[in-house]
Amino acid sequence: MDARGLADQLRPILGEDAIITDHQRLRTYECDGLAHYKVIPALVVLVETTAHVAAVVRACAAAKVPFVARGSGTGLSGGALPHADGVLIVMSRMREILEIDRASQRAVVEPGVVNLQLTQAAQPQGYYYAPDPSSQQVCSIGGNVAENSGGAHCLKYGFTTGHVTGLELVTPGGEVVQIGGKAVDAPGYDLLGALVGSEGTLGIATKVTVRLTRTPEAVRTLLAAFSHTDQAGAAVSAVIGAGVIPAAIEMMDALAIEAAEAAVHCDYPDGAGAVLIVELDGPAAEVAHQFDQVEEFCRDNGAFEIRVAADDAERALFWKGRKSAFAAVGRISPDYIVQDGVIPRTALPEVLRRIAAISAEAGVRVANVFHAGDGNLHPLVLFDDAVPGEAERAEQVSGAIVDLCIEYGGSITGEHGVGFDKARYMPRMFTDDDLDTMQLVRCAFDPSSISNPGKVFPTPRLCGEVPGRHKGAHPLTDAGIAEVF
Amino acid sequence: MGDVILENLCAATEDHAVAATEADAVDRMPARWVAWPGTTEQTAAVMRVATHHDLAVVVRGSGTKLTWGARPERVDLVLDTSRMDKVVEHAAGDLIVVVGAGRRLDDLQGDLAGSGQRLGVDPARRGTVGGLVATAATGPSRLLHGPVRDLLIGVTVVRADGVVAHAGGKVVKNVAGYDVGKLLTGSFGTLGVITQAAFRLHPLPAARSWVSVPLSRPDGVPNSVPAGTCAPVNVQALVQQVVHSQLVPAAVELDRPPSGGVTLCLLLEGIPPGVEGRTTAALDLLGAGATARDDPPDWWGAEPFRRGEALLKVTHEIAGLAHLLTALDDVCASTGLASHLRGSVAVGAVTVGLAGIRDPADSDDPAVVHALVRCVASLRERAPAFGGTVVVLEAPGDLKDDLDVWGPVGGLELMRAVKRRFDPERRLAPGRFVGGI
Amino acid sequence: MAHPDQTHPDHSGGPASVRTGSPGTDAPLSRTPTPLGEPAFDGHRPPSPELVADCVHCGFCLPTCPTYALWGEEMDSPRGRIYLMKQGLEGEPMTPAMVQHIDRCLGCMACVTACPSGVQYDKLIEATRAQVERRFRRSLAERALRTAIFAFFPHPRRLRLMRGPLRLHQASGLSQRLRKSGLLQRISPTLAAMEELAPPVGRAERVPERTPAQGERRGTVGMLLGCVQREFFPGVNAATARVLSAEGFDVIAPAAQGCCGALSAHSGRENEAQRFARALVDQLDQRGQSDGASVALDAVVVNSAGCGSLMKEYADLLADDPAYAERAKRFADGVRDVAEFLHERGTVAPRHPLPVTIAYHDACHLGHAQRVRTQPRELLRGIPGLQLREIAEADLCCGSAGIYNILNPAAARELGDRKAANVLRTKAQLLVTANPGCLMQVASSVERTGQKIALAHTVEVLDASIRGLPVQSLGVSDTSVLDPPNEVTRAAPFPPKKR
Repeated sequence: MDARGLADQLRPILGEDAIITDHQRLRTYECDGLAHYKVIPALVVLVETTAHVAAVVRACAAAKVPFVARGSGTGLSGGALPHADGVLIVMSRMREILEIDRASQRAVVEPGVVNLQLTQAAQPQGYYYAPDPSSQQVCSIGGNVAENSGGAHCLKYGFTTGHVTGLELVTPGGEVVQIGGKAVDAPGYDLLGALVGSEGTLGIATKVTVRLTRTPEAVRTLLAAFSHTDQAGAAVSAVIGAGVIPAAIEMMDALAIEAAEAAVHCDYPDGAGAVLIVELDGPAAEVAHQFDQVEEFCRDNGAFEIRVAADDAERALFWKGRKSAFAAVGRISPDYIVQDGVIPRTALPEVLRRIAAISAEAGVRVANVFHAGDGNLHPLVLFDDAVPGEAERAEQVSGAIVDLCIEYGGSITGEHGVGFDKARYMPRMFTDDDLDTMQLVRCAFDPSSISNPGKVFPTPRLCGEVPGRHKGAHPLTDAGIAEVF
Repeated sequence: MGDVILENLCAATEDHAVAATEADAVDRMPARWVAWPGTTEQTAAVMRVATHHDLAVVVRGSGTKLTWGARPERVDLVLDTSRMDKVVEHAAGDLIVVVGAGRRLDDLQGDLAGSGQRLGVDPARRGTVGGLVATAATGPSRLLHGPVRDLLIGVTVVRADGVVAHAGGKVVKNVAGYDVGKLLTGSFGTLGVITQAAFRLHPLPAARSWVSVPLSRPDGVPNSVPAGTCAPVNVQALVQQVVHSQLVPAAVELDRPPSGGVTLCLLLEGIPPGVEGRTTAALDLLGAGATARDDPPDWWGAEPFRRGEALLKVTHEIAGLAHLLTALDDVCASTGLASHLRGSVAVGAVTVGLAGIRDPADSDDPAVVHALVRCVASLRERAPAFGGTVVVLEAPGDLKDDLDVWGPVGGLELMRAVKRRFDPERRLAPGRFVGGI
Repeated sequence: MAHPDQTHPDHSGGPASVRTGSPGTDAPLSRTPTPLGEPAFDGHRPPSPELVADCVHCGFCLPTCPTYALWGEEMDSPRGRIYLMKQGLEGEPMTPAMVQHIDRCLGCMACVTACPSGVQYDKLIEATRAQVERRFRRSLAERALRTAIFAFFPHPRRLRLMRGPLRLHQASGLSQRLRKSGLLQRISPTLAAMEELAPPVGRAERVPERTPAQGERRGTVGMLLGCVQREFFPGVNAATARVLSAEGFDVIAPAAQGCCGALSAHSGRENEAQRFARALVDQLDQRGQSDGASVALDAVVVNSAGCGSLMKEYADLLADDPAYAERAKRFADGVRDVAEFLHERGTVAPRHPLPVTIAYHDACHLGHAQRVRTQPRELLRGIPGLQLREIAEADLCCGSAGIYNILNPAAARELGDRKAANVLRTKAQLLVTANPGCLMQVASSVERTGQKIALAHTVEVLDASIRGLPVQSLGVSDTSVLDPPNEVTRAAPFPPKKR
């Protein structure tokens, strides 16, 4: 039976309006936030309960049909890119906040709950959900779990994996398993640690228990304008070097500022070659003192204008520019590729210079937005698909930047995930043995390779194999089925 | 045959292998050989020898936690990591360190202190860094810095078949591939041999202050807490007040001996003016009888455990503390044991020492065995009320073998599947882990 | 990255296409678009490919879209609708599926507010709707309903004819009994919706052709009387004229003016809308007529959000008409919402206290389309004793959306219920908004909950304050001010319906 055949099987369980087979409707699901890659799924189903998910996965397992889970479809690595012969399981109707347990600082949510909505629900009780990707007003918690999303404030508060204490999981075999809960340190292997960031390849989360964080007493945000990213980078080093751990330090370069300005009129200082947004939070006395330190460091390193947010509204405005940066780039360029490399923070000035050189040489503009505090860059490589050759050059620049990150001992992806987009770069960062070891985990959870196959790893591992070294070409390559990039 | 094996081990480790002695027993299970590989490559070679000769291997750092977990089914080789004790790289500007698994935690902290930094873990038993990761050791500063799993950013591991693999890297933000490091954390050496680890670091605080309040004094009862202050309900109420406050403590520890004073102590860290202000606020919140000092109470970060007794690790929902204390008191009352609870009540991870087990020599006295077994079983029965788990870390002598050390585990089948992939021959510490893994 | 897609035959058995490749296999992804019939759009003002290309597929619009909030599916989200338009531009046919999703759009433009890339969705949906109206053959029932609606709503004189019978229907108690029985709901949700939405018919107050300024004259304005507003909310028009006059403006309100064409334009009935627009421009032009002499108008003031929104777009609507293009532009530049106008010019009339707690609801065509949000709030806060509370999920449409609540009663009802719940949670005594459609929709939704809240137009509140009337004149019966809920007014819990 193929995916289409499953539609009839699933209709009585899920209901008519949960099954999508119409061609035009299927096409609206052919890509996620990374619109470069499109694949029309054979079938789309919209699920509303854990039982639905289990039924769909079981049906897929029995028919050996691959499945891909999708939340809000805002991912930037093609993680929710459908499989042409597979079922796309859309989780966006499972969006109830099941419980906010202030006393234990936990919330239990369905995976389709939007990140910001969780924070808003907890706020009246003095808590919030700390991981805050820039797409938080639309991205789903389930998606955050799949990608181990970070966000501007992960510098101080960590990523999704530090905030998930429990999951209800539908395994690729279709079983429902409870892992962890509200308490920490469940005995046994840290399956949560493997699952968070597994990009949908180890099953589908149907309930997520997360840690809530106490809303800080004081939050102070400043915006500092510099003539050049070098100066801004030096300011960042000074801050970190002094032992200050801000809640967030973000940097944008001139091109990114231009885009943000056009989009949301954030009114960043004119003529800034770089803008730093530094946010400190915590007990009021600490924040006040550290804030003065930060201001000083900025001035010492050449900030020509410093603005301190006077209230929540102004603070929101500072952040608006940064948070809309990706989408805003659409105003200054028809197309773009967003990268997500990581480098050691101390290498920032040098790497930026090298990126500028790469950009100049290829004649491709690159706007830079990044989490300066932890070295996570988001170079936005701009191009116009309609102009012949530009897409290829942009792709080359993109690859060169990834190589640069690896050269400096960093990572190919800090928070967007590998997905489909960066699978081909994995062998540049990891050896065959490294990838093989990771795939042992995949084989443990998904021996039939039906859970979001084709993502993360460029060459799938045959799960029937005995682990160990391969001599010569991989049998899949020999069979002409797989390619090594 | 044994000579051949020893020969091969020596060849793999440049003559750092010997026949084992009694002292090398792992949790009363005697071993036959001990090897000290000095590098990751040597470790891989050792594992290849082990594979070739079908040896069961247990990894040892300083041996501080070898008695934790269930007794391994067999131990042929003790793989000692002490020689892999170098600091490979300390990038102070990036706040990361890459270090050999055999380096002792105390030594590492000393290395880092020179740059005004530290690794944010302070467990009671401080052995090697590798052991820290393998047992997911936890201490008071976990509240602020997170557990060791969140501080580990990269790892080099040798698989059971001798293949060397890396996961993670040297940068804090990294989502490339699966987080194998987390799988290894707390795996008790059953998935692979950790030879090197990379951690994120934190700056040493400029100021620290410990604020304690006794909870059982008949006079000078804290204002904020109703009379009968050490009643579980009231202890929890006070802890919740601290947890929901804006003090942002680095640690919140409760010390609850079987008799005598119950103490709640907070650690505040930060810059001097901030710590001063928060100390005042903390004194205010904790009420009359609260005191502040520059050094920790003598029980701080130590296990409530003496040889011959039992030690449990208990987790609970933060709001489940009262239920836990009540359950503990009830269970001890009915089994005749005395409990000493100490730990991170704001995290929900504490240790409980159980005394009254009498002389270890009596350990085959059925009455004693039954008491401990019943205690653990009863506590686990009440676990839904406090929303956590009970794991036996230490028990005297052979008593441990009669106990279900790990208790019920969610997702056990998946864990077994993981083990089967990583170590299909069950070479690494067989039987030591959950579900007989 | 111009990776082509691959297509599959749709379930109706269209031509097959070559399936080449999937992630995880060897072959590259490829697309062979195979249009299955006539392309969706023709050459007359199709949705602009440039505007469609502005969308970067980021999804920031999804949480603000009412239909996405209701159904959680991509096709009923702005991102998905733009994608359908894109497919149409690529040559895909105009299928019933495509039309269904276009029709389901409320046109609230919350997505325009949210979009960081500046996609002009309002222009896109209007162009697409016009194409649908012209090129898609609706069902007989659908066509009949639309014909009926547009036979009445844009014609004030015909609406006036309905006043008598409607009044009788309401006064006789038949209306109440019908609603209680739920009979209409079962026969036809559309009829039920219309019945429920019908506002209580009161005394007709006519606005004179000219209302002189009180005190020092600061200017002269034209005033739109509207259709539904004129016949069913005449009090609002009367209040508008009084307030403008009190603030020192002569108000010219020719009785001969007709519909502004908003309902038609927003439903894709392009020609009809243009006819109405031309007529209104003629009737309310800069050189307004009064007592036979022509008077220069400083602005054309509108008290209905939906109308004002379209009138500001007249330049676009009549751009292709050489006879009107210039005049339409001048006209459009002079259109102001009444709150916008008063805020711009500043107020001079003294305010008397109105001790009342209000909840202010942003009508979509005022908040999103015209971006007039702070002005009404500031005007209202300028009234001593008045306390303004924000409504949770403020950006979410109430479901009125022109005639949406008649064409899509089930969806409108759900949205109305949600809005009513959020409004009632503020525990305000009075709901204030600036659109007759919203007033009707929220009124009927609140009535369904069994609770009560008074309703008024922004300008009615200003009028009451200027004239020193008591709060009771606005329909507020319970004068005890209730304590506000803690901190933020939380949204009503709205778990999606499990089907």
